[in-house]
Amino acid sequence: MRAPVTVSALLELRGILVPGRERPRLDGVDLRLAPGERVALLGPSGAGKSTLLAVANGLLAPAAGTVLWEGHPPARSRRGRRRQQARIGTLWQDLRLIEELTVQQNLNAARLARWGWPKALLNLLLPLESEDCAAALRTMDLDPALLDQPVTALSGGQRQRVAMARLLRQDPILLLADEPLASLDPRLAAELLALLLAQAAAPRALLLSLHRPDLLDGFDRAVGLRGGRMVFDHPIAAVTTELLAELYRGGPAGEGTKA
Amino acid sequence: MLLPALVLVPLAVLLPGLTHGGGWDLIGAFAAAALTPSLDPLVLGSLLGGLGVTAGMALLGWAGSLLLGLLLGVASSRTVWRTLTGSALPAALIRRLLAIPRAIHELIWGLLLLQLVGLQPAVAVLAIALPFGALVARVLSDLLDALPTANLEALRAAGAPAPAALLTALGPALLPGVLSYGGYRLECALRSATLLGVFGLGGLGTDLKLSLQSLEFRELWSGLWLLLAVMLTLEAGVSLLRRRWLVPGRFVLARRGVGERSREMLLVLAALLPLCALVGRGLGVNPAALLNWQPLPGLGAGDWSATLALPWPALVGGTLQLTALAATLAVGLAPVLLLLAAPNRWARRSLQLFWALGRLWPPPLSALLLLFVLEPGVVTAALALGFHNLGILGRLLLEGAGSTAAAAEEALTCAGSGPRLALLYGRFSGLARPYLAYGAYRADVMLRESVVVGLAGATGLGSQLLESLSSFAWDQLLALVAVYALLTLIGEDLSDRARRRWLASG
Repeated sequence: MRAPVTVSALLELRGILVPGRERPRLDGVDLRLAPGERVALLGPSGAGKSTLLAVANGLLAPAAGTVLWEGHPPARSRRGRRRQQARIGTLWQDLRLIEELTVQQNLNAARLARWGWPKALLNLLLPLESEDCAAALRTMDLDPALLDQPVTALSGGQRQRVAMARLLRQDPILLLADEPLASLDPRLAAELLALLLAQAAAPRALLLSLHRPDLLDGFDRAVGLRGGRMVFDHPIAAVTTELLAELYRGGPAGEGTKA
Repeated sequence: MLLPALVLVPLAVLLPGLTHGGGWDLIGAFAAAALTPSLDPLVLGSLLGGLGVTAGMALLGWAGSLLLGLLLGVASSRTVWRTLTGSALPAALIRRLLAIPRAIHELIWGLLLLQLVGLQPAVAVLAIALPFGALVARVLSDLLDALPTANLEALRAAGAPAPAALLTALGPALLPGVLSYGGYRLECALRSATLLGVFGLGGLGTDLKLSLQSLEFRELWSGLWLLLAVMLTLEAGVSLLRRRWLVPGRFVLARRGVGERSREMLLVLAALLPLCALVGRGLGVNPAALLNWQPLPGLGAGDWSATLALPWPALVGGTLQLTALAATLAVGLAPVLLLLAAPNRWARRSLQLFWALGRLWPPPLSALLLLFVLEPGVVTAALALGFHNLGILGRLLLEGAGSTAAAAEEALTCAGSGPRLALLYGRFSGLARPYLAYGAYRADVMLRESVVVGLAGATGLGSQLLESLSSFAWDQLLALVAVYALLTLIGEDLSDRARRRWLASG
């Protein structure tokens, strides 16, 4: 229906610059995500991983450089921009579940882009689209009986899965995740990563920031960030232990590698 | 925290000089009548009628203020404007404008409207709804702007349109604040409706004042006990709803359907509408009659030189003195009384009752009562105003003491310190900052309220205002209201700063 002639990248960043207080938070970053690609974003703390994700999901407008979503720059009109945003799904580091609401209401919050406010009001009053919500929970290996629970009653692992189920309810084409495995034990982290990778097939693509290089199996590429600059962009097979050691080596992250 | 109580020392020196002996037996009769209220069915019937009118005015005024406050509160929230339009400027503008109706006490509103549209039930309702609405709006927008916006941001990033995102991300988070504050406002409305009655706007307040002036103390007490019963029932009802809907989720809400709580709230709200309509009809409130303005007597002949000649420094000074005295009295006495009463359960109970009476007892009536034995003046007015606010602060302190952890106090008791010292060091030390911060806010309310004891004050803006009003000196009145509003705004700013400081460094 849409789409330019060539198969365009879902996300394309060119020469992104985000100024910071002492040094740029991002400086000359290029990144391309084709449909079906699963890319891990690596780097020490303060390397600019979260900033890159914020640029990728439109929260942060770069001072210079180009952002293209499915080949299009950010839309001028509010409506067009909303339509673009609806196709970008973010799994936030702090999950951003609405604590006062039940699981079902939280899942439905992802549909707001298509609903508008009258149905948003109804969502606060009645259980809407229960079947779809239950299906999203099942995909994430959760019991649909949880739907009428307040999210405050869930365990940490359950909350993480609910946040992922909400992402499914949004049905985005570009998946972005900011250290989603940071606070989980190793077994749980591996399980959840597998679920997330499984969702990023064919028309979709996944960009996930990670601070555990031992979990790279299942990704297609890894991108290394350090001090706001891109250090490498390799297929997983080419990411060697030496490369990682160089990426995470001691000393202030502020000093660029290539200078 | 106990320091403000030192104000008692100079008061103890001053008071004997102010007493004039004449009315001690009257005070005695008044106190004795507390235990023997009049049970005459005729009296009770008339009091119940008055109570109904007062409660009805309070309900309508409260509902109106909530409606107004919700609309204006959302309209003056920075977060809302920033999300909808990208600029928070209109919010700041609306906020400034709302400061004006807020700065003028409901009594002044009531008396002004009374002159403008004549005596009718709608006057009291409007007099409550206007300043309360502006107050609710301010609290609501403060609450809204203090909410974390991470969820809102997340919904917006997923493409949700602004109104839907605001509703989903902030609406549920706002509810607890709105409910508690709304419940508290209903009590305030009941108090204000009684107060307006004292100044002739009908209802129980009028009955109370008449029976006090005709020295029918037993009838007076019948009315007071009735009012107390209504107030306590109201408090219990509000706290019941609060517990049902707001006690932190985990256990209470765990097994309830999706959105069931919201549906319940909607039902209660829906029930409120016909109730308000019914009450409005019963009271004979006629909004159309409000449009029927009367020409103000003596308008146009502005005598500005006479206005300028008013002793402004003395008026402002008197008002400030009155506020300061009343505030230190109320803020200082509450913890001292609680400390004295704490070890004994019965003493605690009677203190609670004493405070409840203070809360519902309109300050001008205390002032009238005090005039039986005291000369009119700042001290008398401050005592009346202080007693009223003591009731409010005392309850707050008791609630605070109940909800802070008992651990430190228990440790001290185990170490052998007496119960009073344990309470002072164990609980009050943790409570001191929020309590003082609230005291600062209360002082600013007292400044606004000082108009109501103007009768007994003999000095200050309040008494001059009532005088100018009864002599139809509109130019003076206008200037007085403006000065009053200005003073209140400055006071509000000061108390805001004090509060922020006490809470921030806590």
